[in-house]
Amino acid sequence: MLFRQAGIFHTDYSADRALFPIPADRWMIGILLLLALAAPIYMNTLYLSSYLLPWLVWTAGALGLNLILGWAGQFHLGYAAVMGIGAYAAVHATRAGIPWEIAIVLAGITAAVIGSVFAFAALRVKGLYLALSTLALQFVMDWTISHVPAISGGTQATLQAPDIRLLGWAVTSDAGLYYVALVWCVLVTSFMLNLRRTALGRALVAVREKDYAAAVIGVNSFYFKLVAFATSSFIGGVSGAILIGTFYHAVTPEQFSVDVSIQALAMVIVGGLGSIIGSYFGAAFILLMPGVMNSFISWAATKFGFSLGIETLAHLPQAFYGALIIGFLLIEPLGLGKIYNNIRDYLLVWPFGYTKK
Amino acid sequence: MRIERGEIFGLVGPNGCGKTTLTNAITGFYPPQRGHILLNGRDITGLAPHYVATLGVARTFQNLALFNGMSVLDNILLGRHIHMKPSVGRTALYWWLARSDETLNRAAVEDVIDFLQLEGVRDELVDGIPIGLKKRVELARALAAEPSFLILDEPMAGMNQEEKEYMARFILDARDERNVTVLLIEHHMDVITGICDRMLALNYGEMIGSGVPADVVADPRVIEAYIGGAHVAR
Repeated sequence: MLFRQAGIFHTDYSADRALFPIPADRWMIGILLLLALAAPIYMNTLYLSSYLLPWLVWTAGALGLNLILGWAGQFHLGYAAVMGIGAYAAVHATRAGIPWEIAIVLAGITAAVIGSVFAFAALRVKGLYLALSTLALQFVMDWTISHVPAISGGTQATLQAPDIRLLGWAVTSDAGLYYVALVWCVLVTSFMLNLRRTALGRALVAVREKDYAAAVIGVNSFYFKLVAFATSSFIGGVSGAILIGTFYHAVTPEQFSVDVSIQALAMVIVGGLGSIIGSYFGAAFILLMPGVMNSFISWAATKFGFSLGIETLAHLPQAFYGALIIGFLLIEPLGLGKIYNNIRDYLLVWPFGYTKK
Repeated sequence: MRIERGEIFGLVGPNGCGKTTLTNAITGFYPPQRGHILLNGRDITGLAPHYVATLGVARTFQNLALFNGMSVLDNILLGRHIHMKPSVGRTALYWWLARSDETLNRAAVEDVIDFLQLEGVRDELVDGIPIGLKKRVELARALAAEPSFLILDEPMAGMNQEEKEYMARFILDARDERNVTVLLIEHHMDVITGICDRMLALNYGEMIGSGVPADVVADPRVIEAYIGGAHVAR
């Protein structure tokens, strides 16, 4: 009903490969984009800059991780380190007087170079061994950043990030920062959408599924794994730089520690491997759920008149949040993106459920 | 062992005699301990599999090796990999750099889909289609690369009579219309004698008979190795 397919006839191959062949999807994307563009008008600045903005930047970051995990099928436990490399590179570059728009590209390139040099060694092993070697990237980067004063500015130091300047204009308003994040998120999303219909995306999936079968059709697995690592590191590096520029405004080593890597991994897995909309859901879930749980439990405590100790109140939301992740993955191992797709598939033929697609 | 251009060459032998090992050596998965592999006069011994593929060698696998989670169409499009230039830049700027190339290759893939009569399952996920069709999709993926030399490793294993006849017809047509030289590994003797120009029988890595199929299958050494000597003598 909602996503009516009747009457859609493609007359050439490029129309068949359009990003959104179904009109209902095009309308939805258009409306969502308009809502996103108008968000500074109808949303108060607290929500805009403390929920919407980090969500967009983290979604872009999660999409970068999804590229390596969901498309190329290679484990990456050091993604936060890659984001950290980008963040520090951008902060140092802008402090040295390089314009911000060039600095974030430099941040991406630095992350991509370090990421691929590392991948060059790490990709000699597969599976769990690769996961452990990427974890090593995390620890090496943590150590390097905190032990080299030239990078971190000294132990326990916080480096202030200069204000963002685009083409000479200082971007300091909440709306301006939000638009920076929005543009980056839209760019990464459109790249990932294109990945689903180009030779590169197919080659990555081939490497993920069966590397020997990929080899006989001419896909050089090692090269494409390396490309995946470099691209995902680029996206991660720029996302890290933008996260610092628009949200934290200062950079410390703890912002990109190992538990942030795990969080990024959770975003991708809860959202769904290889699902683009899933990365949006996953990032929202991981970022917002602890806060939502917190307020829900304190609301319930006052409503039903039971008193909770400070300790319990601090840990209960965490426990619920963990249980929710497990629950979601038990119901649908392919994540929130798959749940969305199931609903969409249902609505594709509703109310004629017997005409199963 | 020599395969002439334009031939359908059959390879038979009992289990473990080295048929698949031979294919793996040709496609570069194992470097041979001795000997050389020449393709159109060029030595390809020991080259990496993905490089051998770019020289026009395609193969299918005994146990299917399709890419699950992708549609039939995407699987066959992957066969065009060596004719495309996948890159990050082309993906990011799809509308300007990749669309025309994708469309051209799609047209080539649609030719193969027509050729192998796969129109009906084009948009299905490859995981969900019957095994006979999966084998055909794998053949389509191999043919999409426009190979000059095609190795089919038991393309008819697990098929019923009707599917076998379809497959035999497709192999003959591929040779005639798409100028492919075929190395066919099969256990179905009727297929081998029916469509192969010449054949070779292997046993424990030794060549025990080669030539025109009718002669080879009548060779007592081949019968002994393949069907068992004692029964024939009795």
